[in-house]
Amino acid sequence: MALTQVSSNKCAGGFQKVFEHDSTELKCKMKFAIYLPPKAETDKCPVLYWLSGLTCTEQNFITKAGSQLAAAEHGIIIVAPDTSPRGCNIEGEDESWDFGTGAGFYVNATQDPWKTNYRMYSYVTEELPKLINANFSTDPDRMSISGHSMGGHGALICALKNPGKYKAVSAFAPICNPVQCPWGQKAFTGYLGADRSAWEAYDATVLAASYSGPQLDILIDQGRDDQFLSASQLLPDNLIAVCSEKKIPVVFRLQPGYDHSYFFIYSFINDHIKHHAKYLNA
Amino acid sequence: EIASIRNQLQGKVAEMENFAGHLEEIFLTVEENFGRQEQHLEQHYNDVLQTLSQRYDDRETGLQEEKKSKLESLYKQLVACGQALDTSKELIETAQEVYRCQDERLFLKVAQLGLLRDFFFLEFAKEDIDLSLSTSLEFSTPLADLSDVKTMMDSINVVPAPSAPVINPQLPNSATQTSLHVCWSLFSDDTVEYYELYYRPVLEDTPADSTLPSPPAIKQRECSSCPEAALIRWESGNTNPVDSYIVELSETGTVVAVPTCQCLIQLQAGRQYLISVRAVNIGGPSDRSDAITISTTGTFFYLLEDTAHPCLSMSEDGFTIFYGDEELPITAMAFEDNTFTRCVAILGDLIPVRGRHYWEVEVDDETEFRVGVAYEDTERDGYLGANGSSWCMRHIRTPSRHKYEFLHNGWSPDLRITVHPVRIGVALDYDRGTLSFFNANLEQHLHTFHCRFHNYVHPCFSLDNPGALTVHNGIQAPDYTFI
Repeated sequence: MALTQVSSNKCAGGFQKVFEHDSTELKCKMKFAIYLPPKAETDKCPVLYWLSGLTCTEQNFITKAGSQLAAAEHGIIIVAPDTSPRGCNIEGEDESWDFGTGAGFYVNATQDPWKTNYRMYSYVTEELPKLINANFSTDPDRMSISGHSMGGHGALICALKNPGKYKAVSAFAPICNPVQCPWGQKAFTGYLGADRSAWEAYDATVLAASYSGPQLDILIDQGRDDQFLSASQLLPDNLIAVCSEKKIPVVFRLQPGYDHSYFFIYSFINDHIKHHAKYLNA
Repeated sequence: EIASIRNQLQGKVAEMENFAGHLEEIFLTVEENFGRQEQHLEQHYNDVLQTLSQRYDDRETGLQEEKKSKLESLYKQLVACGQALDTSKELIETAQEVYRCQDERLFLKVAQLGLLRDFFFLEFAKEDIDLSLSTSLEFSTPLADLSDVKTMMDSINVVPAPSAPVINPQLPNSATQTSLHVCWSLFSDDTVEYYELYYRPVLEDTPADSTLPSPPAIKQRECSSCPEAALIRWESGNTNPVDSYIVELSETGTVVAVPTCQCLIQLQAGRQYLISVRAVNIGGPSDRSDAITISTTGTFFYLLEDTAHPCLSMSEDGFTIFYGDEELPITAMAFEDNTFTRCVAILGDLIPVRGRHYWEVEVDDETEFRVGVAYEDTERDGYLGANGSSWCMRHIRTPSRHKYEFLHNGWSPDLRITVHPVRIGVALDYDRGTLSFFNANLEQHLHTFHCRFHNYVHPCFSLDNPGALTVHNGIQAPDYTFI
C-alpha cells in the first residue's frame, strides 16, 4: 500500500508526520498522523493508537494535545487516524456534526447508504495496524489504544472486543454507554439500524459485562465541568458499576474544573502516556 | 663595601618584617583575649543584674503584702471603733430621755434608772475601748541578704580556673627504666600559669584500672535498612563509660568506628551482611556482640511501638497491627507523649536515607484503613491525611461499595477504583518528590502525590474501624513502581 507523506515537522527530538493512503476498508483516501520518537531511528518501538472525537480530523490531537514530549521520553509511536471516511459524497453525510462526516463512531455500518464506506472499526483494528507495521519501525506485538469522547468509546470497545490485542487502554471523557445516550442512539440507528442487539456489540458497558480475556487496567479521566457529562451523553457511572461487579480494574478520575476540550486532554496526557508506557515497555 | 651595607640593610629589613609580623600576631592574640574577657565580663554582670532584679522583685512583693495586711487590720479597727461610737451614742440618748421625763412617774423612773444604771455599768464595763492602734505604723525591713551577689561581684575579677588537661596516650619508646615522657594538651581558651604533675606507681599485682568492656547488644527491632544503607542501633552493654564502638561487617571485613550507640552504614544493594559491634575503651575492644543479619533487598523497617494508639495491638513478629472490637474506656488507655490519641495509628521506623523506598500493606475486603507517610512530628492528636504533615490512601467501606480517598491537608481527588486492592504497594521517591500507591496484585497504579519532602518521613498506618493490617517489607521495588 502506497503512503504519501503530507507533512513532516521535527518535534520533541522526533518527527510529527502526516501521511495519506488509499483505504481498502473505507474506499477513499484517508490521512493519518504519526509521531516517531527519537528512539524509532534505532529501535523498534511500541505503538499507541489515538482515536479522536466528534468533528475532529488527524490534526486536532497532534497540534493541541501536547503528547509528543511524553511519547519521546518513553519511546512510543503515536498514530492518530481521522474520525470518518472523507469525500465519499454520501447524501446526508454533512448534515449533522454528530453523525456522518467526522462522526464515524468506530463501527462497521450495516445500513445503506453507510455500509460501503463507514467501516471505521475494521479500519482501526485491522487495516491501519497492518499499514503501520509494514511501513514503520514498530514492534507489532506491542500496541495500545486510547481516545477522547467518541474516540474514548472507540478505544474501549476495540480493547474489549479484542482481548489481548492491546497491551493497555485509557480514555478521556469517553462515551461509555452509547445505547443509552442521545449521541449513541442517533449514530447507531443510522449506521446499524433499529435492532438494538446489533448496537450492543459496540457498547463498552455492555461489552464489559461479558468480557473475558487477559486482565485489563483501564485509566479514565473525566472533567467534572464537562457539559456533555451533565447532558448525560457520557454516562461513566454505568461503566464503573459494571466493572466493579465484573472486577475489571478501572481507575476513574473526576477532575474538578475541567471541561470537554483539548485543554483537558493536554493537562493529563502525560499521565496516560505513562500508563501506556508501563505496559508497552514492560 | 656597598654590597655588604646593602646586605646588612636587607637583613635589617627582614628582621623588621619579622618583628612586624610578630607584633601583628601579638596584636591579634590580645584582641582575641580582650574579646573573650569582654564576653566573660558581660556574662558575669548579666548574671549579677539578674540576681539583683530578682531580689528586688521578691522584696517588693513582701512589702506590698505587709502593707495590705496592715491596712486590713487598721480598717477592722476603724469599723470596731465606729460601732462602739454608735452604741455609746444610743446609750447617751436613752439616758437623756430618761432625764427629761416628768416627776409624777419619778418612783418608776428611779426604778428604771436603777436598772439603767446597772445597764450602763455593765455596758461601759464591757466596752473597754481600746484606743491603741492595732498595728504599728512601722514596716519591718529585714536586712537584705546580698551575700551571694557580693560573691558574684568578687568573682568577676577572677580568672576562671582552667579545664583539666588531656594526657596524650603514651608513645612507644618514650620510657626508660627510670624516666617517662608525659605529654598533654590543653584547651586554647584557658590561661595557664603553670602545671602540676602528679604520679603514683601502680602495683603490678593489682588489677589494671582499665578492664575490657563487655560486648554490646544490638537492638534488633530498632534496626532498619534500604538498598543503599543500614541503620544499626545497640545497647552499650556497659555501666562504665565506653570510649567508642566498632561496627564490623563480616562479609567485607569493613570496620567503622563510632562514638555513639548507633551507626548508619553505606552498603551495596542486593546483598546480605552479618553485622556485629564491639565496645572499646582504654583497655581495648570487647568481644563481638551477637551478629544481626541485614539484607539490602528493598527497604526494611519495624513499626515504632511507642507511637501506637493504645487501642492498637501488635503481632509477635511486629508486622501486623490489630484494632480490637472491645471498647476500651478512656481512662484505661495509657497515652504517652508520643502515641496517637485520636487516630488509631502507628508510625514505622523508616531509615533516614533519601532515595527510593517501597513496601506493601496487606488488608482485607472490609478493613477501613489509612496508609501512607507522615513527618516524624505529625500531630499526634490529628488524623492521618487531615493535616499538612501526612499523606495517605484511605479506604472507606459502605454497605454498597468501596470508597477511596488520597488525603493530604484534608483534601482528596475524586476517583473511583473498581477492584478493591488487598495488597497495596507504596512507593516513596524523595528525589522526585512522589508518593505512589499501587494495587500490587494487579500492578495497577492508583494515585501519586507530588510533594517536596523537606524532611525525612515515616510510613504511617491506621485502622479506622476494628480490623487488622499487615506490613510487608524487604521487597525489591517492582520496575513499574518507579517509571
